[in-house]
Amino acid sequence: MADQSIAGAGIMATASDGDRSGRARVVILFLCLGLAVAVLLSLTSGASDASVVSVVGDWLLGAAPGDEALSARDRLIVYDIRLPRVILGVLIGAALAVSGAVMQGLFRNPLADPGLIGVSAGSSLGAVAVIVLGATVLAPFTVALGTLALPLAAFCGGLATTLVLYQVATRHGRTSVATMLLAGIALAALAIALTGILIFMADDRQLRDLTFWQLGSLAGATWQKIGSVGPIIVLALSAMPFLARGLNALALGEATAGHLGIPVQRLKYTAIIGVSAAVGASVAASGGIGFVGIVVPHLLRLAIGPDNRYLLPASALLGASLLLLADAVARTMVAPAELPIGIVTAIAGAPFFLWILLRKRGVVDL
Amino acid sequence: MIEARDVSVAIGGKRIVANVDFDMRPGEIAAIVGPNGSGKTTFLRALSGDLAYSGEVTINGRDLSAMKPVEAATMRAVLPQATTLSFPFTVREIVRLGLLGGRSGALPGEDERLPERALARVDLDGFAGRFYQELSGGEQQRVQLARVLCQVWAPVLDGKPRYLFLDEPLSSLDIKHQLIIMNIAHDFARRGGGVVAILHDLNLTAMYADRIFVMHRGRLAATGSPQDVLSDDLIEKVFDCRLRVGVLPAGNVPFVLPQSAA
Repeated sequence: MADQSIAGAGIMATASDGDRSGRARVVILFLCLGLAVAVLLSLTSGASDASVVSVVGDWLLGAAPGDEALSARDRLIVYDIRLPRVILGVLIGAALAVSGAVMQGLFRNPLADPGLIGVSAGSSLGAVAVIVLGATVLAPFTVALGTLALPLAAFCGGLATTLVLYQVATRHGRTSVATMLLAGIALAALAIALTGILIFMADDRQLRDLTFWQLGSLAGATWQKIGSVGPIIVLALSAMPFLARGLNALALGEATAGHLGIPVQRLKYTAIIGVSAAVGASVAASGGIGFVGIVVPHLLRLAIGPDNRYLLPASALLGASLLLLADAVARTMVAPAELPIGIVTAIAGAPFFLWILLRKRGVVDL
Repeated sequence: MIEARDVSVAIGGKRIVANVDFDMRPGEIAAIVGPNGSGKTTFLRALSGDLAYSGEVTINGRDLSAMKPVEAATMRAVLPQATTLSFPFTVREIVRLGLLGGRSGALPGEDERLPERALARVDLDGFAGRFYQELSGGEQQRVQLARVLCQVWAPVLDGKPRYLFLDEPLSSLDIKHQLIIMNIAHDFARRGGGVVAILHDLNLTAMYADRIFVMHRGRLAATGSPQDVLSDDLIEKVFDCRLRVGVLPAGNVPFVLPQSAA
């Protein structure tokens, strides 16, 4: 049976004669607006009644007098609690979505996702190692690096996993999807087992710290945390646009990308290091938040096509917006308590992933 | 000018190509023929810079092993046997990838229109908006050829000839499109470029090739013009098949040769 949604999109593509760059620009513009709205709503929603009007009023007028002015308490809530949380959400949403898109381009497969194929598990292992062993075995490492120790360890864990995965799954320039997913399962199992050993060794205080790694949460957002992982994510994300053309060529296979003049080895290693850095920093800051990397690029490919020059920036914008949305759900569903955001993204994302598999059945050779 | 001296390729410890010498001049179509598994594709992949080889390969006097991907991409374009995609690219998006290096050699400002023109040349007018994954194998093959043509649109750039490397460009095509593709190759060579093509159809090879390289068990079995190479003895030796050149079928069995094309 022909893939119906592809056929449906075909009619639209014919109208613009196969050139979807105009539509992509429009979509990106709307995504910018959407993100702005999401940021504003996140800043103003929550247990405190600091409203959109009062926040904007505060920005425009400074400490304006009257009812709309922010009280000192409101200002504390908005600037020291909500703003860092929103910024962290934007950074991590963008990092996860773009990492997913880049991995899918690298593996030439729409099912590759840092969470699914064990990269996040590897990053978690690195982070947990620092939390549990930071005061003892890894003390020189944590003392020397300070707040960077955690994201760096998560980066190394993610990098090691990705490199092993790529070596195992790719032969003669062809990546086998089955091998990739199975190797991902094996590596994730190994990383989770090693993490388990560390958790077994942890004391009570560390156990409390560790709980959120399993679930994923933005609740611990502070300016200090943004200071340590923000630069890593921003650096990794700003390298990604330079990969876009190469990843487009890579869609034709490694050999053909090389024939087109792309330095394939350099492209692959830049992509792997960039993804590991972005995922590592995200995991270090918020634990495992799944499915953003697979849902966001997939939705966007339906709307604007797979051209990475547009897909990567659009993924960053939509990933950031969706994570803020998920965080809003996490904060309000069981208020005044809070759901871990990883649970929200998994509950929405896992069925979506199954839907992708159903659609791709027979189209993608697993 | 492409010169290969004593080229050998081993994959996984097994020697696939052994001591092949290969020369071609711009203006020529060089056909590589031989039975399945004789090392044709492996040799072409070495020539494309995909595989490590021993021996020496120069393109326009430059050592292939010292070339960066970008330099090689300016000198030659490569059509693989088949290309599958995992993402829903449109035909235009695929063909445009040929312009990635920015050295098509078309007149300034013409690049934007090249995908259309290249598609028209491979008889895919109006296919730009279709999805690549929805096309038949033969149509996909022609889309890839259009992409390859965009990459080296001008057969000569900066006074230097450029080359098309085609790995079984006709394998999934009907007879009409086989002739169209071979005419494109012929035209590319006539205008000063060079074409290296792996072919299986000996009649089309005889019709279009200026020079034939016959491969057999990884080695070069014969080389020369079609008249010199295509003999009963060689075909029997290389293809292990007793065929006779230039003999009409008996009785009223119909046969159709590409040479009869109007």
